[in-house]
Amino acid sequence: MDNETKQKINERYERELNRGERFWPDSIFKDLVVSLAIFVILLLLATFIGVAPEAKADPADTSYLPRPEWYFLFLFKFLALYGQIPVIGKIEWLATVLVPGLGVGLLTLLPLLDKSPYRHYSRRIFALTFMGTVVLDIVLLTIMASLPIPPDANELAASTVLQAIGGLWIPAAILTILVGFYLFRREIYHVSTRRSLPIWITVIGSVAMIAMTAVVSVRAASYPVAEEAEVATTLVDQILAGQDLYSVNCVECHGDDGSVAVIEGVEGLEGEEITPINSTDVLYTITDSAMYEVIAYGRPNAGMPPSGKAYGGELSKSEIDHIISFMRYMWDDRFEIPAEALQPLFPPLADGEVPSYDVHIAPIVKRYCISCHRPGKDNNDYLMTTYEEILTTGENKEHNVIARDPNGYLIQVIQGTPIMDPENPNEELVGVMPPKGHLKPDAIDAFVRWIWAGMPETAEQAAALFGTITIEPVTTPTP
Amino acid sequence: MSEINRREFIKGAAAVVGGLITAVIGLPTIAYLIDPALRESAKEAWIPVGKLADMPVGKPTPFSFTRVQVNGWERTSTSHGGYVIRKSEDPNDLLILNSICTHLACTVNWSEADKVYLCPCHDAKFGQQGEVLGGPPPRALDRFEEFRVSDDGVLEIFYKEA
Amino acid sequence: MWTNVFNWLDERLGLNEMYTNLLDRPEPKGNWWNTLGSASLFLFVLQGATGIFLTVYYTPSPDHAYDSVQYIMEGVAFGWLIRGIHHWGASLMVLIVFIHMLRVFVTASYKYPRELTWLIGIGLLLTTIGMGFTGYLLPWNQRAFWATTVGTQIAGTVPYIGEFILKVLRGGPDLSALTLQRFFSAHIWMLPAALAGLIGVHLYLIMRHGESHFPTKED
Repeated sequence: MDNETKQKINERYERELNRGERFWPDSIFKDLVVSLAIFVILLLLATFIGVAPEAKADPADTSYLPRPEWYFLFLFKFLALYGQIPVIGKIEWLATVLVPGLGVGLLTLLPLLDKSPYRHYSRRIFALTFMGTVVLDIVLLTIMASLPIPPDANELAASTVLQAIGGLWIPAAILTILVGFYLFRREIYHVSTRRSLPIWITVIGSVAMIAMTAVVSVRAASYPVAEEAEVATTLVDQILAGQDLYSVNCVECHGDDGSVAVIEGVEGLEGEEITPINSTDVLYTITDSAMYEVIAYGRPNAGMPPSGKAYGGELSKSEIDHIISFMRYMWDDRFEIPAEALQPLFPPLADGEVPSYDVHIAPIVKRYCISCHRPGKDNNDYLMTTYEEILTTGENKEHNVIARDPNGYLIQVIQGTPIMDPENPNEELVGVMPPKGHLKPDAIDAFVRWIWAGMPETAEQAAALFGTITIEPVTTPTP
Repeated sequence: MSEINRREFIKGAAAVVGGLITAVIGLPTIAYLIDPALRESAKEAWIPVGKLADMPVGKPTPFSFTRVQVNGWERTSTSHGGYVIRKSEDPNDLLILNSICTHLACTVNWSEADKVYLCPCHDAKFGQQGEVLGGPPPRALDRFEEFRVSDDGVLEIFYKEA
Repeated sequence: MWTNVFNWLDERLGLNEMYTNLLDRPEPKGNWWNTLGSASLFLFVLQGATGIFLTVYYTPSPDHAYDSVQYIMEGVAFGWLIRGIHHWGASLMVLIVFIHMLRVFVTASYKYPRELTWLIGIGLLLTTIGMGFTGYLLPWNQRAFWATTVGTQIAGTVPYIGEFILKVLRGGPDLSALTLQRFFSAHIWMLPAALAGLIGVHLYLIMRHGESHFPTKED
């Protein structure tokens, strides 16, 4: 830029300054208004949306789907699409280093590359159309990266092609044409009407890009979205989550209150002596981190399988932490358990009230039965994880749960009467349940009422039967 | 509105906005910073100490227990201890001393030979009632004033976190 | 009485001179688009303040990072607010800085005599993104851990020196306590120091050349 042009620019600016305003208070006032608006937006976001809780980092859990922060998503998607290109798609660094590097380089050197003195948009068609295309591409790639993942290979292939067209090829074509127009502008712009050509190309191309993104989005709307597991954040939530996990995974050997000293009812470990895990011997001497290792790695020599993902189990770091929280606060007398964590298993039954599976039976079964009566365990194939399973599974399925019949197997074994094998009168077909410890009278009462009422599933069905059944007296099992 | 009035208004408005942002961020922040000092941490419990029948009359019987302190996300256990002195066969006639030296909190030990409590840190000496016999401590050994005996003969002391 | 206090301070601090030089300056007719720059500065100050308060309770070690963040969210009075503002402020700052850059591009304010201001601005943009990247790891949850694993992996694809860069970023071959520690150090003072320095020069240049006027046909 020559000195004469610089002089003109400076003089122009002087004129603008003279007919302008003052920094203080005019500019600063505008700045403060915008700052206040931003501040209020942040307060609203922090209060009403907050930060989504996530599980603790677990280096062993490689099944987690990593996603970067939103402002990197466009790069993320660009890399994914670039990888689809045959041959050069394999050369990763072209996409990870060259293209972004080129972008940042051009951006940095912009004032040195664009030395023309013109600032009005009418004289900057190339710059504005080029930048507009790039920014639109970034926005659309970000949108595409936020969509749910296609469920099968065919859909994935189709979606990827559409995304590549909209996010990679069309923008690349537009940019190439724009650069071509710019380089050969002296030849092309003889006729003044052709000056609008780059604008048209950009507009049409942008519409195509947006349309392609819309198509991809509409297709993605029908994909199944992976369920996000709830993460327990407060201490009470963690204890309750830990209690549920303990009920399913640990009760089988350790009992619902951790007091089992001799294992019963577990295949391969019958009669094994263990230290009760609710004892002070264990709780006072084993720290939380040691307990974590025991649960994660297991005790293979003693027969305890690993539960941590790092060793082939199914529990995440957070889940094992929750189990430990439950054990500490429930059984370690040095800790005071928060009152909200001591909730009754099910709402107490009024006179004449009929319990339902959903509200009353399911929590009892989850706490005391599912540990054994789930797939893969020694349980005569009698599963209890759902309503249907309780009524219809098992080797003795015709005998387990029969409405209004006191000879049903389930109602007998929970009240302390084992079922003997008719062919071998000294052999137990079904032992007393639970094998270790007995259900409390109110839980037995709930089962009795439930079976007498015909096993209603939902709360509404149970409410309709209110007061319609006569209960036979509940027998407390002899210890 | 003349130029000057407008300017004054904008100056005032700017000051108000600035002050508002500072207050809305500042006040919760003060609560945030001093939060641990505002907490009520007094916790109380009845601690079982041992069967009364196992404690001979006249001779100090040592006992100890652990408590867990929660500070933020850290759980640490601290141990405490003391001596039970039965003055007679009467289960209510007890003196229960805290074994933390009142000088700088070392643990004192009962010396059966000298019939005193000795502190190994700075040679403090306490008598049978916990009174200071010699050395730097400013006051007698603390006592666990409240105690009870359960139905199966276990002595329990009332512990309150300071 | 207040006039006396003011005069005493003015004689020593030069408050009136500060006012004349810094505040009482002419600017072109204001455009609300021009507020994006100061909005970025406001967000930087807000992030700095909330960030400093977060370090009162946060521990940058894999053993305690997650639990300390949980304590801030559940245990400390208004901890959820401080963290919430910091979390959303980070995203908002990247967005506002980016839009500010676009505005400067569209109004061609990067041209003579403001080329250096633009250059510094790109440095600010990259450093802001660096702040976002390093800060993202600190809660040490699944999202943070695996996103950083992939991010540093991508950095490792640079030809020849990629593995070296990866090891420098991670403090070793894997994501570990060393990674968390150096990301924390970069996030709380190395990058903020760079930001503060660049902002200083950026502001000086803006005051020297004045805010650019909105271009008209004449430009």
